[in-house]
Amino acid sequence: MTDNALVLRGLVKRFDGLTAVGGVDLYVPTGSFFGLLGPNGAGKTTTLSMAVGLLRPDAGTVAVLGHDVWSDPVTAKRLLGALPDPVRTFDRLSGSELLAYIGLLRGMDAAVVDARAAELLDVLGLADAGRTLVVDYSAGMKKKIGLACALLHAPRLLVLDEPFEAVDPVSGALIRDILHRYVAGGGTVVLSSHVMEVVERLCSHVAILAGGQVRTVGTLDEVRQGRSLEDVFVHVVGGRVATGAELSWL
Amino acid sequence: MAVAQDAQPARNAERPTRAVHFVRLKLRLTGNSLRGQAWRIVLVVFGAIAGLWGALGGFALFTAGGVARGDGGLVIVAFAGAGLTLAWLLLPLLFFGVDETIDPARFALLPVSRGTLLRGMVAAACVSIPAIATAIALLGLIFGAAVRGRTPAAVVTAAVGAVLGLFTCVVGSRALSSAFASMLRSRRVRDLAAILLAVLASSVAPLQLTVSSLIAHGNLARAAGIARVLAWTPLGAPYAAYLDVADGRPATALARLALGLVTLVALTAWWWRTLESAMIGVASGARSAGSAGRPASAADGLFPAVLRWLRPGRFSGLVAREWRYWWREPRRRASLISLTIAGVVVPAMLRAGSGSGGAPLPVAVAFSALLAAMVLANQFGTDGAAYALHLLVGVPGRVELRARACALAALMAPVLVLVTVVIALLTGAQSQVPAALGVVAAALGMSAGISALVSVLVPYAFPESSNPFAVSGGTGGLRGLLALAGSLVAAALLAPVLVFAVLADGAWAGPAVLATGVGWGAAGLLIGTQVAGGILDRRGPEILVAVTPRR
Repeated sequence: MTDNALVLRGLVKRFDGLTAVGGVDLYVPTGSFFGLLGPNGAGKTTTLSMAVGLLRPDAGTVAVLGHDVWSDPVTAKRLLGALPDPVRTFDRLSGSELLAYIGLLRGMDAAVVDARAAELLDVLGLADAGRTLVVDYSAGMKKKIGLACALLHAPRLLVLDEPFEAVDPVSGALIRDILHRYVAGGGTVVLSSHVMEVVERLCSHVAILAGGQVRTVGTLDEVRQGRSLEDVFVHVVGGRVATGAELSWL
Repeated sequence: MAVAQDAQPARNAERPTRAVHFVRLKLRLTGNSLRGQAWRIVLVVFGAIAGLWGALGGFALFTAGGVARGDGGLVIVAFAGAGLTLAWLLLPLLFFGVDETIDPARFALLPVSRGTLLRGMVAAACVSIPAIATAIALLGLIFGAAVRGRTPAAVVTAAVGAVLGLFTCVVGSRALSSAFASMLRSRRVRDLAAILLAVLASSVAPLQLTVSSLIAHGNLARAAGIARVLAWTPLGAPYAAYLDVADGRPATALARLALGLVTLVALTAWWWRTLESAMIGVASGARSAGSAGRPASAADGLFPAVLRWLRPGRFSGLVAREWRYWWREPRRRASLISLTIAGVVVPAMLRAGSGSGGAPLPVAVAFSALLAAMVLANQFGTDGAAYALHLLVGVPGRVELRARACALAALMAPVLVLVTVVIALLTGAQSQVPAALGVVAAALGMSAGISALVSVLVPYAFPESSNPFAVSGGTGGLRGLLALAGSLVAAALLAPVLVFAVLADGAWAGPAVLATGVGWGAAGLLIGTQVAGGILDRRGPEILVAVTPRR
């Protein structure tokens, strides 16, 4: 077993001549709670899409617990659970149908799928939704069913893109608790966010991404160096945080 | 982007929106969708050439209507006009979809008055290859009027008729498709919509039959009788009006133009009502009741009752999900309904066709079976971004494609078998049933195999729209041609079985064709999915990018 649950080396992605991700290297230690921070358009989603095998990088490699995602996808995808940013899933199934479908696709035993699906739906408070289709769920419920889908096969690495977006405080606390227990049990979580408080509260490691490049990376304390994470973020990313004489007509 | 240009200085904010803005917006959107996409430009060029070809053909036909003597003119003009209108109304529903470059729902929050929006939508709809081709063809009507009538009055009447006809086509096709879209969105009335569509589609059949039998018998007098009726329906009235002026009956001409105008106004009002409900999202429902009835186990819930005998596993799970999706997803449901109708109407028409017994039963049913599996030609496009899930899980391409083909076969095979048997009984061709079923099996398998290949080689995205008939701007409808090309290849590969089915004779001929057909279809499906599955395994992420709708 390697020390790093997820290793990104020299990832590059260009879209129509624009460089979205320009050479990202990241080493995510096993058992860490890794936060990927960045302003809008920094390349967080693009990086994570390449890490989970949804988007082919123009250059670079990705390894999940030592297995290359692009040359050995079967093993890598078995160890990996992912929540992609837009809920890109078959949303015209009910919650339990969707979980059953994913379980069967992953080749799990039907009885195991049943038991885990029921437990996940209960814990996440989705059991009441009954036969409501996922497409009719609220935004927060969609995040929760996405998390259930990612957890169903008990992966060793979780990659979550914006898991707390549009989630109400109660559900947010619940998800945080689930993730804490998962990491305490030896799992590794990588999540992206642009909400400082969430990352500051949860993560053991932080990387700040801007303009498709990693600007800062390290444990939370190394990155903060006694300041608040928001100050560090604004300092690293740059950009204005106050208005001058403009917008006087407002 | 075109809007952003107008929005910059504050003093411009009050400038009223005009229809021309919509046209510019549409052109800009179409242009942006073409930027850097060489093959889309090729498709547009091909579409323009096809459109020009059709336009010139139409121009010649309408001009001929002016030149022809006696009743000939009326026959040509009435039939050509009615055919044009029907094509505009029905083809988008059955095959090509409606261009939704400009989605009215996007304007819901903007301060645009209803009238402006309506004018803008019509203007934008007129800026498309079919509309321009129709306009060119209708110039023939005016030209014909100049030749025949030799008076300014006839020319003016023809021009008014042409404009009325063009707008009836454009607005009518919009109105019909958005009305069906809102019907199909609500589950309660979807069956009603299916029946309505069936009635509409089957109304084409008698018309086609009469025309072909008239051509076969060269019976001008009967054709003129039908043309006279057509010329008093909204389908043909605006086109025929100038003939009355040329023949010295101005009152009749005015009555025909008035009929056309009333139709246009009624269609516009109807379209407007469906547009409004689309904008404020009245029919966005399709909400399933959150009933407490929870199935005993999750896996059992996924499988529809018909498929519950399958052992839960990866393949059967895929089949079950596909089956559910054919019913739950509006776009798929719409194409399933269209296919079923075409599967009934086309063989019936071919069998009942010209005089002596029509086409042999195996030939008659081959087309609908080919068409049935062609719906898979953009199977990843219909799933859109949801395909990401399969990519995350790492579903083997072969398993995926075969499961999708099996789910469709499970849905369509009973329909096709039933149609074959019923048509055989009605037309007294019971002896041809085994051979016909063999052809159905071969056509279904071959077509599914080719579709699998097309779907992994040229996947494309549908826009995120609640209208199941929507295609993306500019090139969307043209990509329906790819499916058509695929079905031509499948038809060519089917030809040996078809020839065997038609030529084989004797007691054992039927079962022999049946066995050959099943084997042929299975081989086509297995080879097609084998090759396509390998491509899918290699190109999965690229296919996901291609089918993800752009925001």
